[in-house]
Amino acid sequence: MMRTNELLAQDEPLLEVRDLSYSYDTVEAVRGVTFAVERGELLGFLGPNGAGKTTTLGCIAGLLSDWKGSLHFDGRDFDPGSRTADRATLGLAPQELALYDDLTGLENLCFFGRLSGLAGSELDTAVEAALELSGLAARAGDRVGTYSGGMKRRLNLAIGDLHQPQLLLLDEPTAGVDPQSRSHIFECLRALRRSGRTLIYTTHYMEEAERLCDRVAIINEGAIVALGSCRELARSIGQVEADLEQVFLQLTGRRLRD
Amino acid sequence: MRRLLQTALLLAGKDFRVFFRDRTGMLLGLALPIGLVTVFGFITQFAFRGGDMPRAELWVVDEDRSEASRLLVAELERSATLRLRPEGDEEAHDAYELMDDGEAHHVLVIAAGFGDRIGHGDVPELTLLRDPGRTMEDRLVRIGLSQAVTTVTRGRLIPVLLGQRLRDVGLPEDVVAEVVQAQEAGRAALENYLAQAAGEGGSGGDTAALDVQSVFSNLVPMTVVDRQPPERPRMLTYTLAQSVSGITVMMLMFGLVACGGTLILEREQGTLPRLLSAAMPRDAILVGKFLFAAAVGLFQLALLFCWGELLFDVGMFQRPATLLVVSVSVTAAVTGFGVLIAAWAKTTKQAEGVSTLLILVMSALGGAWFPVQLFDLPVYAEIITRSTLTWWAMSAYQQMLWDQASWTAPSVLQALAVLWAFALATSFLAWHLFRRRYTGG
Ligand SMILES: Nc1ncnc2c1ncn2[C@@H]1O[C@H](COP(=O)(O)OP(=O)(O)O)[C@@H](O)[C@H]1O
Ligand SMILES: [Mg+2]
Repeated sequence: MMRTNELLAQDEPLLEVRDLSYSYDTVEAVRGVTFAVERGELLGFLGPNGAGKTTTLGCIAGLLSDWKGSLHFDGRDFDPGSRTADRATLGLAPQELALYDDLTGLENLCFFGRLSGLAGSELDTAVEAALELSGLAARAGDRVGTYSGGMKRRLNLAIGDLHQPQLLLLDEPTAGVDPQSRSHIFECLRALRRSGRTLIYTTHYMEEAERLCDRVAIINEGAIVALGSCRELARSIGQVEADLEQVFLQLTGRRLRD
Repeated sequence: MRRLLQTALLLAGKDFRVFFRDRTGMLLGLALPIGLVTVFGFITQFAFRGGDMPRAELWVVDEDRSEASRLLVAELERSATLRLRPEGDEEAHDAYELMDDGEAHHVLVIAAGFGDRIGHGDVPELTLLRDPGRTMEDRLVRIGLSQAVTTVTRGRLIPVLLGQRLRDVGLPEDVVAEVVQAQEAGRAALENYLAQAAGEGGSGGDTAALDVQSVFSNLVPMTVVDRQPPERPRMLTYTLAQSVSGITVMMLMFGLVACGGTLILEREQGTLPRLLSAAMPRDAILVGKFLFAAAVGLFQLALLFCWGELLFDVGMFQRPATLLVVSVSVTAAVTGFGVLIAAWAKTTKQAEGVSTLLILVMSALGGAWFPVQLFDLPVYAEIITRSTLTWWAMSAYQQMLWDQASWTAPSVLQALAVLWAFALATSFLAWHLFRRRYTGG
């Protein structure tokens, strides 16, 4: 099921980020980041805590204003901060769980579904799909406050994808979850990718990036230090057999783990 | 615009759902006001029921123990303004000790020789020890004392005291003597007649009601008629009306600040990014909070008024249209206040601290605790009390409850206009802050 604009502009990247910079009051969190996301790819953002991953996603999702640089989506100027229509093309699963603990899983899904404009049978279908994706159908009627960390993560992800956005932004979707939930989330990501969704996904886990991503952007201290497939990155440091851990160490002079 | 309202309604509906699911929060939001209204209502009803004045406590140390002193004590006991100590088996020890212990605030010492001096028509010695920190009771004690002394001395001292007073002012001695003599003669004639009438079994006039004291205190001819507006419920006293509307407005403020606070909660619980990134007008987040707070406010008011009516019969629903118009206006103003606090505060703690302070200060100044509306305040104080939201909200409710005014009365309209001005100003400010703090624009 391809969208018409995808047919028209096959080779154009879905999202183009040029020279993006953002400063909090005193901290220069993102410094001139440039990259493009191809249609249907799963792009990994790999970097230690505080590297600027969340800030970059915040700019793309329109949560932060006053950033410098340019954003293009589908070849058009992109400003989700002030244009509602631009926000409709995005889905977001924030790093901090964005759920109402006092509502049930189903109520959360319905609420956020309606918020993004879904209604009627369209909403029912989307909610059903989300429950299946997150594997929470059996617990849909329970309050989210009673969910485990992994279940909350899965719900957090499924809500971001409810309205089937063209680009799904996932900020550390596996943070603080047990191994079972983690592999479930991996399955979700693969399934989403298979269905043609374009994803940006941040993590500070090497193995995840290696296992899942088509390409990886290594980000450190607010700047992208390398971008490519795992193999390309290994080759770029002259060690074909190297893993991302070694790539990171070589490029930044520091270890990735805290 | 339609999408904005739709989304705002959706958000408000979500908040409502969460509100009713959080049992503790709901209990605080609804049961606490009800409890407070109950307590305050009962206190005011029993403390001030039927226009009864509170009594002041007066300890008496009788060092004279004469017939006259016992008579004085008995007379003081009959006073409507005093509660006499010692009572029952209690004993009054040293007067100064009583004061120093903090046990007594007013002690009357009847010095030895009190009876003798009265017998001789001399001014008796009475000493009143008082705690200067208890000015409230002072007036009551003085009234009770002077009434009792006049009665006990059967007016016999009035000429003497009058003479003394005239001398103090500096009148010549011959004038003083003349006036005192005339007074003595008048009193003697009255006493003679009363004694005679009592002996004959009462013929000329209601002599039982004619004691000497009442002759002097009720000289001005006056018919006293108790009359209150026909529509005002019999049970309603000014203090009860005051207490019901005061507590209601204060609790409404606390309740709606909490509702507005769910805006800060969106940020603290991490749901804000999701709302901001959703394909909807962002102002709907704020409008949703307004709708939510206003709905909870009206609900809380309805509940409180039904409860107040059931328990105290204050006549809340005598003018339904006025009640509705006033309540909607008050809710609008208080909602604006609550949302403004939320939009301004960076954290829930900050919002709670600042709002508690503001609400308590506004309640005290605006008359929710004591009826500042009844006091004659200096201009600057008047300006201060009237600059609070509470004053205008109270004023609107008091006029409806106490003065039986309709919402179309000019003074009520004035209060409503001020309330809506508050509502608009706070809302606009809240919107401004929301845009700056939440949507980065
Ligand atoms: N709200 C904020 N105010 C000030 N500094 C911030 C804020 N959020 C993040 N930062 C700083 O910006 C930098 C990048 O943070 P972030 O984008 O969250 O990194 P990551 O998601 O890669 O862990 C860090 O140094 C962090 O301390
Ligand atoms: Mg982060």
